Amino acid sequence: MNKKLALFILLGSILTPIAQAQIKHIEMRVEGMT
Amino acid sequence: MKQHLGRQSGVQNVEVSLIDGKVQITPKEDGRIDPPQLLKAVYDSGVSVAEMDVIARGKIVKDSSGALALQLEPNQAFQLAPNDLSSGLESLAGSPTIVTVRGQLYKKPAGKKKADTSAPLKLLILEVQKKE
Repeated sequence: MNKKLALFILLGSILTPIAQAQIKHIEMRVEGMT
Repeated sequence: MKQHLGRQSGVQNVEVSLIDGKVQITPKEDGRIDPPQLLKAVYDSGVSVAEMDVIARGKIVKDSSGALALQLEPNQAFQLAPNDLSSGLESLAGSPTIVTVRGQLYKKPAGKKKADTSAPLKLLILEVQKKE
């Protein structure tokens, strides 16, 4: 049981930073907008 | 244009400033946003994009051609345009370090009236904000 829990925690710590990887903000400069 | 962009997947909020011609897009917390799709949406609304800057968080990897890339998700990565800042990140390739960078993903080519939005976008890193 402890082994399963340890594996779960290990997988969680590996996958969490990847899940947070993303584009945080986008800014565009545009031309021809009225 | 605001409605056009707001309909794109992964977009939470769109702010348009008519005075300085800037469009700020806030992605959803858990959403996948597709910059080429946003470029296309802007062009479809009859406006031309001069520049697109992003703040992104991801891992540095080497793609199949050996070029450095910022990987955001298993199926979303942007190849890095070579400069001093991207060279400084080369040692992190393949490591679990997550970096937050500000970079230019698109700039309208000089002299061209209509840009090719279908070309793959390269990220020119302007600032490395964080390494975790």
